[in-house]
Amino acid sequence: MKKIKIKKGHDINIAGKARIDSISEKFPETVSISPVEFNYIKPKLLIEEGQSIRIGEPIFYDKNNPSVKWPSLASGVIERIEFGERRAILNIITRIDYESEKIQTSSTTNLSSREEVINFLLDKNLFPFIQKRPFDMVANPAEKPKAIIVSFANTAPLGTDFNFSLSGEKKYITEGLKNLKHLTDGKIYVAVNSSQFDFVDDLEFVEKIFVEGPHPSGNIGVILNHVDPINNKDIIWTIKPQHLVILGKAFSYGIYDFKTTINLAGPGVKNPSYISSRLGANINNLCKDDLVDSSLRIISGDVLTGKHTSIENFLGFYHSSISVILESFNRPFIGWLHPGGKSKYSVFNAYFGTNKKPFEFTTLQNGSHRALVPIDAWEKVFPMNIYINALVRSIEAGDFEEMEKLGIYECSEEDVALCSFVCPSKTDVAGIIRKGLNMIYLDK
Amino acid sequence: MKFLKNIFEKTGKLVEKGKPLSWAYPIWEAADTIFFSTDSQTKSGPHIRDNMDIKRTMFFVVIALIPCYIFGAYNIGYLYSNALNIDSSFIPSFLFGLKYVLPILITTFVAGAICELSFAIIRKHEVNEGFLVSCALIPLTLPPTVPLWQVFIGTAFGIIIGKEIFGGVGTNIFNPALTARAFMYFAFPTKMSGDKIWAIGVDGYSAATALSVPANPKNYDTASNLFSNITQFDFSNMNLFWGLIPGSIGETNKLLIILGGLFLIYCGIASWRIMLSSIVGLILTATILNLLAPFSTNAMLTITPLQHLLIGSFLFGIVFMATEPVTSSHTNRGRWIYGFFIGFLTVIIRSINPAYPEGVMLAILIMNMFAPLIDYYIIQSNIKMRLGRNA
Repeated sequence: MKKIKIKKGHDINIAGKARIDSISEKFPETVSISPVEFNYIKPKLLIEEGQSIRIGEPIFYDKNNPSVKWPSLASGVIERIEFGERRAILNIITRIDYESEKIQTSSTTNLSSREEVINFLLDKNLFPFIQKRPFDMVANPAEKPKAIIVSFANTAPLGTDFNFSLSGEKKYITEGLKNLKHLTDGKIYVAVNSSQFDFVDDLEFVEKIFVEGPHPSGNIGVILNHVDPINNKDIIWTIKPQHLVILGKAFSYGIYDFKTTINLAGPGVKNPSYISSRLGANINNLCKDDLVDSSLRIISGDVLTGKHTSIENFLGFYHSSISVILESFNRPFIGWLHPGGKSKYSVFNAYFGTNKKPFEFTTLQNGSHRALVPIDAWEKVFPMNIYINALVRSIEAGDFEEMEKLGIYECSEEDVALCSFVCPSKTDVAGIIRKGLNMIYLDK
Repeated sequence: MKFLKNIFEKTGKLVEKGKPLSWAYPIWEAADTIFFSTDSQTKSGPHIRDNMDIKRTMFFVVIALIPCYIFGAYNIGYLYSNALNIDSSFIPSFLFGLKYVLPILITTFVAGAICELSFAIIRKHEVNEGFLVSCALIPLTLPPTVPLWQVFIGTAFGIIIGKEIFGGVGTNIFNPALTARAFMYFAFPTKMSGDKIWAIGVDGYSAATALSVPANPKNYDTASNLFSNITQFDFSNMNLFWGLIPGSIGETNKLLIILGGLFLIYCGIASWRIMLSSIVGLILTATILNLLAPFSTNAMLTITPLQHLLIGSFLFGIVFMATEPVTSSHTNRGRWIYGFFIGFLTVIIRSINPAYPEGVMLAILIMNMFAPLIDYYIIQSNIKMRLGRNA
């Protein structure tokens, strides 16, 4: 077991943390899968509105990589397909038929080679659960990764505590890891941040990494930067912990079970709690009675990296939480002179008596956008061996070679989200990193 | 409040995109957000943001400067009453000094605002609050007798040549406030140097600064002896620290500067690395020169490290000027090197350059110039490490 101790970073003390006691079960009426969520794919639909579909059947594929197909997250009828600008597919909505879903034939498989595991995942349309770094996109089955990493250490603000939400799933996690091991000749890393987590202790092929420290210590990019950095042309595959369970069930019994436990949290939720539901569930079905009566922003994912969505929308494919914050258009008089207190939160010592109590964050940007003044704010919350300021400048200058040299492949939006959070100039650092990745990816 | 809000709402409609007055939007935005915090919303992730913004950052630097202003004004009055042998209690002295400080301050702000706002309109960028700090810094670096028209031209030069022609805040190479001061020093030498300008007295009253004492000694002696021979002012270490001596308006009281520096470090705005390494550089260089002093007739070599710290504008420079985030080094390792060389160059310029005894201004400007180079080499080492891994 390796240990990494991370000092730079910040655990945002945000109000509305979900209680870790019970998990209530909610059954959504509809589910959706949203092709726009997946970076760089060209989706081609395999179904049409009104058609009935069974769970796991292919629903669309990627024109760039036709062998990778996405599964239907439920049995039922395709109710609606929503299109956005330039016919981007926003949502493929299925009304769930719980009765017909029960009928699934189980089968046992014994997979013993990389080829068999890949073919199993492609045949079962489960390949999109595997993501890759760099670029943070769905993996390419033709590529062989240097290593595979799963991080159970979710340090994001209001992030799901996987030690709790996956506590009964040891069998499937083990089964998932055992099969995924065939996919790489390299190591399988499993990152944890709790000593209670012992799921992988008896798997000798797993390299367990114990992380300590504030967010973003549990992020894959940060962990890899410390133990096995991504070099040019390196490929790392990663799987979200909740998806490992889904894959584990498929490997064990050959069945589809897209159940997942999420947490509903944030200052805009009356009773922040854990909910057992399924991937792509309708958000309205999950939380309609639990929201405070106010103007709200609903975020699929955590408050740093999640997607701005709405009550009629759906839980994101890769997301394990729904965060709700209050919208605010409050404009205090001479706000820059404010002494501090309960209404302010800052990682700088610029206000009196802040940060002690859980803070009710709102959607306010808390300042206007200004030119970049490097007062070392990003560096204090960015625990990677990368000069982030220089990297951002090289992206803004469009200097591809410099970006690569400065380590853009090691970064993803989630790793720099805290930089955007603290930036006094309100620079969108995460957006700039994605812009740089896009430039490189689309140029290739 | 409601009234003000209404005014801004109404005028805001006039400067919207597509309206004839849309060119004035940056000015309207700057004024509007001074009175009422912006209600800009986060768009994509992160959906929440820290409460610190550039307005507050810059405002805090100005707060750190206020004590220097108060003491500076008092010091002018104090020295005046000492010269005339009249009452030197705080309030009258302060009010007397204020008559000199306030016009200079107003002039810099008018000149600074005109330049910043016109460039914001022409270049269509936001009005960056950084110019407030530059304008607040400039008067503190000037002698109280400076003519206002020179202040105006100097400030305009500092903001335009020091900042705007490089693209404004965030892309400038030289500290605008120091650029202004350096320009004034070289353009108007009679009003910026000599021993007639540092204190107000009767006509022709001369008051030499501490630095000029060992710089122009009548007979060679050690700096400490030269200081104690001066009867007009008390140049003991203690009084150099308290600052009741002639000098630029804001630099004489070291206690207030140190407090200001600690405040900025505590808030996380200024880099302690730069301040500390400058002091280390100064002490090391001064110690070496002390060892060389017996071989020379230059009295400046005999100034002890402590005296170097206390005389002149060194502390003011490293706390408020050298730490300017844009023009200093951007990497932490670079900041150590950058600061060290400021300390080193300050002592070298003070000791070895006979024409100009105060070295900190040029030391910082020279290191401003080298900061990108230092960063370049630091970042190259990171790149080499990464390339080494690829191989």
